[in-house]
Amino acid sequence: MIMNEQKSYQKAIEPWRIRVIYIGIAAVFCFYTFKLFSLQILQGDYYLAQAEDNRTEEINLQTERGIIMDRNGVVLARNVASYNVTITPADLPGDPTEEPLPGAIQEIYRELSPLIGVPVSNGVLNDETVKTFTACNTDFGITEVVIIQDTNAPYSAVNVACDIDRETAMIIQEKASDWPGVGIEVQPIREYPTGSTTSEIIGFLGPIPATLEEEYRAAGYVPNRDKVGYAGVESSLNDILAGTNGKRVVEVDVAGKEIRDIETPIDPVPGNNVKLTIDTRLQAAAKAALIGEIDWWNRYFNTIRSSNGVVIALNPKTGEVLAMVSYPTFENNRMAKYIPAYYYNQLMSDPLTPLFNHAVSAEHPPGSVFKLSTAIGALNEGVVTPTQSLTCPGKISITEKYSPNDPGSEREYVCYDKLGHGKVYYQRAIALSCDIYFYKIGGGYEGEVEEGLGIDRLAEYAKALGYGQVTGIELPGEAEGLIPTSAWKRVNLSENWSTGDTYIAAMGQGYVLSTALQVAVSAAIVANDGVYMQPTLVREVLDSNGNVIQPFTPKVKWDITKDKLITVFDENGIPTEEKKAVEPWVIKLTQEGMRMTITEGTAKNYLSNIIINGKDIPVAGKTGTAEYCDNVAQDKGLCIPGNWPTHSWFVGYAPYEDPEIAVVAFVYNGGEGASVAGPIARKVFEAYFQLKAIDAGEPEVKESEITTP
Amino acid sequence: MKREIWRNFDFWLFGAALFLSIFGIMMIQSAIAGNATLAQAVSRQPLYLIGGTVLMLIMAAIDYHYWGSLSRFIYIFAIISLLIIYVVGTVSFGSARWLDTGVIMIQPSEIVKILMIMVLADFFAKNIDKPHDLKWIFQSFLMTFGVVIWILLQPNLSTSIVIFVIWFALVWICGVPVKYLLILALVGIVLIAAAFPLLEDYQRGRIINFLFPDPEASYGDTYNVEQALITIGSGGLLGEGYGQGTQVQLRFLKVRHTDFIFSALAEEFGFVGAMTVMGLLLFLIWRCMEIGRTASDLYGSLIAYSYAAMLFFQTAVNIGVNLNVVPVSGLPLPFISYGGSSLLSSILGIGLVESVALRKGTITS
Repeated sequence: MIMNEQKSYQKAIEPWRIRVIYIGIAAVFCFYTFKLFSLQILQGDYYLAQAEDNRTEEINLQTERGIIMDRNGVVLARNVASYNVTITPADLPGDPTEEPLPGAIQEIYRELSPLIGVPVSNGVLNDETVKTFTACNTDFGITEVVIIQDTNAPYSAVNVACDIDRETAMIIQEKASDWPGVGIEVQPIREYPTGSTTSEIIGFLGPIPATLEEEYRAAGYVPNRDKVGYAGVESSLNDILAGTNGKRVVEVDVAGKEIRDIETPIDPVPGNNVKLTIDTRLQAAAKAALIGEIDWWNRYFNTIRSSNGVVIALNPKTGEVLAMVSYPTFENNRMAKYIPAYYYNQLMSDPLTPLFNHAVSAEHPPGSVFKLSTAIGALNEGVVTPTQSLTCPGKISITEKYSPNDPGSEREYVCYDKLGHGKVYYQRAIALSCDIYFYKIGGGYEGEVEEGLGIDRLAEYAKALGYGQVTGIELPGEAEGLIPTSAWKRVNLSENWSTGDTYIAAMGQGYVLSTALQVAVSAAIVANDGVYMQPTLVREVLDSNGNVIQPFTPKVKWDITKDKLITVFDENGIPTEEKKAVEPWVIKLTQEGMRMTITEGTAKNYLSNIIINGKDIPVAGKTGTAEYCDNVAQDKGLCIPGNWPTHSWFVGYAPYEDPEIAVVAFVYNGGEGASVAGPIARKVFEAYFQLKAIDAGEPEVKESEITTP
Repeated sequence: MKREIWRNFDFWLFGAALFLSIFGIMMIQSAIAGNATLAQAVSRQPLYLIGGTVLMLIMAAIDYHYWGSLSRFIYIFAIISLLIIYVVGTVSFGSARWLDTGVIMIQPSEIVKILMIMVLADFFAKNIDKPHDLKWIFQSFLMTFGVVIWILLQPNLSTSIVIFVIWFALVWICGVPVKYLLILALVGIVLIAAAFPLLEDYQRGRIINFLFPDPEASYGDTYNVEQALITIGSGGLLGEGYGQGTQVQLRFLKVRHTDFIFSALAEEFGFVGAMTVMGLLLFLIWRCMEIGRTASDLYGSLIAYSYAAMLFFQTAVNIGVNLNVVPVSGLPLPFISYGGSSLLSSILGIGLVESVALRKGTITS
């Protein structure tokens, strides 16, 4: 009976239908087993890495940039605190996303709002506005900023107000205990106490450029937070100043709350401090002298004739740059927090290129200051003898030839003094800057100088004096200048070097280009008896505790009287393997010539009788009035043949017997070298020796007490 | 006699269910991960287990045939219990599902699943000799729909689907002709397509997200399932250890004590642990199927089979969601996921099936 019953209902359920269910179950579980195996065993490492990535967070600990000082310890660049007001949503007394806001939070927002000038609530939260939100640059009110942060990372602080003044920051700091969640974040910002006085040397900082982001990131920088040097020593010494950021690897939960350190934290290493060779007082005096002189002449001519110039002062015995003025320059404090677009664009579009350091980056024809190279070369090569006098009739005719067999054409070359200088010997030629003398020794003159120095030999001496190559000073964007040779002209202009080119080059005109620093260096080499000291801006590198880690050691680049730098050319003008040095007596006579420039030469009215504290300061130097015709002059229609506009140059050193300072002054379109650049250099010499007397504690000598011999 | 029938008590079934429930409580403890509000809520889970076990024994003791004869009343009771929450229900996460009895919060729809097993099994057992025509299908469907509609309106799509799965399992087992099945499938597809626009936004979103994952989807849309995969995968062979899973403990895995508890246990106990849990659930289903096969009458058999179907469906969907092979739905993992009503309903179901097991071969008594 029971069996029948069971059979009857068993028949009601067809066994294959149960089997289908079993097959379904088996299929699903097999599939899941396969899925699990694939996820956990085959791809386990991949997902484990993702889980690790979820829970680990690398926190970059910002280091502090080193400060920059001048040679006397005057601070030129430092870090000051900028204060940001932050709110950590998770620490607020209540849920900041609730509507309406909990009373305690409302109270905080209401009291905070007038202090920081941010409304309690402003703007509408939606996908679009939230996506474009960036702290410190938003129209949202406090409520909205906190809500956004609460959804992203409630345990991390968000800036609700940036760069508030110190007093407000102190008030908020005091109230922080009553305002849970509110805090003050201190962020370092670069400040330049000397501002535009030293901005051409110091430069400024800017954000890490997008194109270099990867490299900087690899070096431990954090884009959008860390800044890098954009100009001046902030850029060239960036590696010394920057320091190294520290790092913590922490475990975080889903809300971003730190749980613990996973790795031993690496503390940030602060950047080294740098003491520059600059004397800020001299820098200020040099800048004032340059601007004063330019303004004086502009007023005199009642037009903006010039608004661009350079002054460099350096110690010829050590290479230390004491002052470097590039005018016009910029105000680097305006770029401290961020680079304002309108200001940057204004600087970029200024035809006077204030962002450009004219002292090292601008190339100009050096004019007569270049005659030092020609003079030294001609004397050393025996083109003339020291006692040999050449006639300067005011103008001469020379045959312009492009090749030895070229019949050539006669061309007239004039001296700046149409009356001529009569008979001139070596020193006198330098002192008077006699053009005819230099034409003759440079290119030769039938009857007087059988064979001139020639361009290829001239180039050898110019390069020995530092022209045509970078000096290697610690500044970005240094220009090489240009010292032409016959080969250079063939390659670059597809033309033979002509005899006329030599006459022009011997005067520092034509193709010859140099930077103001190269001109300063050439005089410094002569002043230092032929020894080329590496020009430098860095006196000492100190660690963050003020210990000197790199003391100043002057570096000799070369000595033209000992190092054989000059290639000897054979009689056909072909360079040989042989090299030679410059005879010391050649330098000696050149120094005498430069001294005579002041005592009886071109600069007599401008640089003689410098008496500081009762002491006479003998100066030696060379003036230059360099003709130029660049696109600016051409646009203004100034390039009248035979009457080109001129740059003013003066380069010199003092004291003559034991030089301490070499100065170059350059005024773009300044006119005559002696009368425009000369007085600038004079003021720099005066300032230098006055400062020296003050530093030495010498008692001040009153004018009336001076007994003039 | 009464004492004798306990010899048929399926200790394997009961033991596996108890083991999974206790393991579930342990896993929930780990999944709290320091969340204070959660800790307070889940502390009642053991009470549900104890209460549920007592109720299960009572259920097992009661002859299931009584439920058959009371099926009309049970049917009406199910509807009333669902209607009550519209009057005094508590809204949570946007749908009214809860009934606050003062002592415990009950989700009537969970209990209704077991009630519907009793009612539908009875209907199909009684109508086994009638022609299995469209009228038969339609009649049983309407009967199911009369209850499901109130769950659907809560809205609670997933539980509604579970009950339709119970209905479908019964239709299948009782021998629906294959041609009708095709018609049914066709009607089903049409109905789903028609119903799609009626779904809640979040439900539509989940289905669309599953079928056509948007590679540019924002963080939130796919966050939960992505984190679930990371959680499972990072478990490896042996797991990171109880209370040691970083995804769980640092709360990267969301809803880890309910929908995604399988991911949590897979991380902490690895492939071995996940396979063990899956194996135990499979074992439970198999035991129920066995009880269905050996039941003394059709009603008992259908009860056991439909409970097995329900268990299988919920397990498959929940694990499927965790493995990202099924769209996100709120179905708990039987016995393990946090949820008093769900645990209670699963254990009551065990009691019901045990009742069938106890009475095999005793049709006349």
